[in-house]
Amino acid sequence: MSAVSVAPSTPLPAVTKVPFGRLLLVEWRKMTDTRAGRALLIISAGMLLLAMGIVVLVAALNDNFSLGLSAWSSILTIPLSLLTPVLAIMIVTQEWGQRTNMVTFSLEPSRLRVMAAKLVAVVALALVLIAVALVCGVVGNALAAAVGGYDASWSINGEVLAWTIVQQLLYFVSAFGLAMCLLSTPFSIVVVYVDQLLLPLMVWSTLYFIFDWAADVIPFIDMGYALSPFAAGAGSVPAGADLPDVGTQQVLALICSIFLWVVVPVALGAYRVLKSEVK
Amino acid sequence: MIKVEGLTRVYGTFTAVDDVSFTAEAGKVTGFLGPNGAGKSTTMRIMVGLTNPTKGRATINGSLYADLPNPGRHVGVLLDASAQHDGRTGREVLTLAAMTMGLPKSRVDEMLELVSLTPSEAKRRIKNYSLGMKQRLGIAHALIGDPKVLILDEPANGLDPAGIRWMRGLLKEYADRGGTVLLSSHLLHEVEQIADELILIGNGRIVAEGTKDTILASQGTAGQSLVTSLDNEALTVALKAKGYSVEPVGTGMRVSAAPAEVGKAALESNVVLTDLRDGGAGLEDIFLQLTAETQRENVAQIHAEGVSA
Repeated sequence: MSAVSVAPSTPLPAVTKVPFGRLLLVEWRKMTDTRAGRALLIISAGMLLLAMGIVVLVAALNDNFSLGLSAWSSILTIPLSLLTPVLAIMIVTQEWGQRTNMVTFSLEPSRLRVMAAKLVAVVALALVLIAVALVCGVVGNALAAAVGGYDASWSINGEVLAWTIVQQLLYFVSAFGLAMCLLSTPFSIVVVYVDQLLLPLMVWSTLYFIFDWAADVIPFIDMGYALSPFAAGAGSVPAGADLPDVGTQQVLALICSIFLWVVVPVALGAYRVLKSEVK
Repeated sequence: MIKVEGLTRVYGTFTAVDDVSFTAEAGKVTGFLGPNGAGKSTTMRIMVGLTNPTKGRATINGSLYADLPNPGRHVGVLLDASAQHDGRTGREVLTLAAMTMGLPKSRVDEMLELVSLTPSEAKRRIKNYSLGMKQRLGIAHALIGDPKVLILDEPANGLDPAGIRWMRGLLKEYADRGGTVLLSSHLLHEVEQIADELILIGNGRIVAEGTKDTILASQGTAGQSLVTSLDNEALTVALKAKGYSVEPVGTGMRVSAAPAEVGKAALESNVVLTDLRDGGAGLEDIFLQLTAETQRENVAQIHAEGVSA
């Protein structure tokens, strides 16, 4: 056993500060090198294909049914918005749950650099998934037109698409920030889904119907409602929202809701990660 | 070299580490000993920047851990072998470390061979590792960057006797090459055998430090003998005449003189000795005595049982 020496057989490269790119590659790898991580990616891809399949099936079975590319893109963002927040949460909370943060932060003591590498890696992954969703949209559009026997519409509103992507990324970074605040996988998933799905669907929409003031107040506290005047027509309009024109109030509401759900969680979370004892 | 100066960590009203200062020198293995909860792990976590000290600081070769560029290349850290993702393979854990440190992939194989993890074991997930295998992987992880300093918390936990002997040889070789090794343990015998310097900690405070011999000497237990002879009474008279104190213990006596002096007295008074040995307290006695307040069990009782056994 002692035949092998501790000393390296070949000289190791010179010691320099760990470059950000290397941290990024490591974090990217960490998302895909465990069974849980791979499963999540496979499920994401599966959901996209499933959504695509269902729509193609509907097109095949209904005679007077047709769908353009812009509708496709908004349909396919639904499975994405359901799953990608989990990716953003897991990349943070997994380190605490499995206690690998002890290793991670002893190899790179600057915790902010590590968290930044995580954020960039996971946003890159989200963009890849959005790109995959768009490709699925193109393929699905062609397929549905072929089996449904109608001429495919390829028009897509660039602005709407851009707002859809912005919305996805805002939700994504918000989930990342909340995960840093809570540092627990189940807790973070519950809070993020309550914030991003349950509240808008169950609570805000009800208030919207009942109270007049709700239309003025809710956009300030919910990013989805704040974004809807901007992303009008993207299919992400919450139930009951009768799209106002974009004015100063809408811009203020957007800024306020982003501050509340993106800036505050990220800042508090970063503070917690920096100050907390790792053990 | 690791230098710890006035390190203190307070949790609410509880002081886990209380004004701890010591130096672990290059070329030596320094053993960090203390009962459970004495503050060993907290001190080590502060050294590598995972816990912030309330007061004081710890430096490694003159700089704070956080200021080290690519710290994995300077300091090999093993704080908890179980703190790895269950779903990763052993090889993957080392690969991630090699990637972060910018090391060639060949270094991963070199380390797996060093700690005797076979290729098929390296492909298994950590979930299926025994504690001993995790410990080997942790040692490989600590050594992969060829650091000059090693900080190991309870590295022998879970290793089998052959594994412990192997690790002892490994750390000895490492220190002989000029490396600094700080390892903690609550197992006295294990540390006694490899450590050049010992630091005894209890209740967050250093209670003794130095080589084994200086610690023994500083506690004033040197120069005591346990003796049994065919004529204890005659020997007692002879020893008392020389000014030593004698007290009966079991079938023999405890004398406040080194064994050589007792032998001389026996020779002069023509008494046949049946047993003569050093009666100084062992390291274990001192360890228990110094950390008495922090021990969970009543040390006086253990001590009594130890003597009667």
